[in-house]
Amino acid sequence: MNCHDVSRMLDPYVDDELSPADAAAVAAHIEQCASCGQRLADRESLQQLVRAVPYYTAPDRLRIAIGNAAPRRSWRVPPMAAWAAGIALVAAIGGAAGLRTRQVAQSTAAMAEHVVDEHVRALTSQRLFDVRSSNQHTVKPWFQGKLDFSPPVADLSSVGFPLVGGRVDSIANRRVAALVFQRREHVIEVFIAPVVARIASTDVRSIRGFHERHWVQGDLSLWAVSDLNERELREFVDAFVSATR
Amino acid sequence: MSERDFEQLVVPHLDAAFNYARWLTKNTADAEDVVQDASIRALRFFRSLRNEDARAWLLTIVRNTWYGRLAKHGTDRVGSDEPLTDDRREEALSPEALVLQQQTVAHVQEAVESLPADFREVIVLRELEGLSYKEIAAIVGVPIGTVMSRLSRARERLLARLRPAIADGGRA
Repeated sequence: MNCHDVSRMLDPYVDDELSPADAAAVAAHIEQCASCGQRLADRESLQQLVRAVPYYTAPDRLRIAIGNAAPRRSWRVPPMAAWAAGIALVAAIGGAAGLRTRQVAQSTAAMAEHVVDEHVRALTSQRLFDVRSSNQHTVKPWFQGKLDFSPPVADLSSVGFPLVGGRVDSIANRRVAALVFQRREHVIEVFIAPVVARIASTDVRSIRGFHERHWVQGDLSLWAVSDLNERELREFVDAFVSATR
Repeated sequence: MSERDFEQLVVPHLDAAFNYARWLTKNTADAEDVVQDASIRALRFFRSLRNEDARAWLLTIVRNTWYGRLAKHGTDRVGSDEPLTDDRREEALSPEALVLQQQTVAHVQEAVESLPADFREVIVLRELEGLSYKEIAAIVGVPIGTVMSRLSRARERLLARLRPAIADGGRA
């Protein structure tokens, strides 16, 4: 075995991937070849170095979210499980289930990202609403002629989520209605569009500190997004759904 | 496979999944998204897991999820087929230089992160997960010989880059 052969076997040698015979031959060569011995030493030093880089452990919130996603016998359906069920349901309808599930998961995630991006953009711009009113009978007709669908609008002041206004916006090249609500110092936005195909029918997630919930109402897709805590955002969505059903 | 099995077989590998995703995406938020999406898929396809190693199976899903997102957003260099320039140096690593200082770890981390994704992942799967070539080949979906050559080229790059850094660290 010459230096060239050994150099090609150094990696499997340090990784214990050689047959005993090959490993013995490499070891024998290295015994008497200083330059190959040095190359082996370099490999081993590098291995030690690389093994000292961080091993990133899963954050608790991820662990909890995924633990909850696993089906349980408990009566309570955790939000993640509902989301998973939504994806599974949509996927089951498709023919190529694998591809479809992946596309659904991706599209759902992508849409959620777009929604948060748009919410952040609106918050930082001067234009949070085009119609400022807490009166649903002012806001709802305002959308007429601006959209090819009629978004559900409700003032939820009675349950602590006053309607502040609305605007027409665009997310992922779709024209959407945006409703702005308030809870203490928090802004909640609801984006509404004709039902978006190929995304999960329910979706709950946290993105960059914002909470986001997606659901389908009739033939409309709705997203609620806010920096409000998850529990209150869920209360909000429940109140919105029952007020507009 | 029962529902309990999912928790018993897959959930214990969340750290492996997250670590792999974190090294692929190079940031925590994306890694969380990837692992979350991957877990949903894992849950969906759980019944397809038979006698395979659950960790390798989950890592494969993580990888596919990440590549799927990449294809959509296109944010990283995936390919590494550019010719490897021979920039090896002749100086050896001195034993003193191996004193691991935080600075050195940071250098190594940077060096690993700067590798093209398909070199980076074989390093992570081999050195941090301790997987065999065969297991890595299954996860990455390439022949064992390719795993070996990628590892070799990745290590040559790391050596070329880390020698001076380690020499400096050793002097300091």
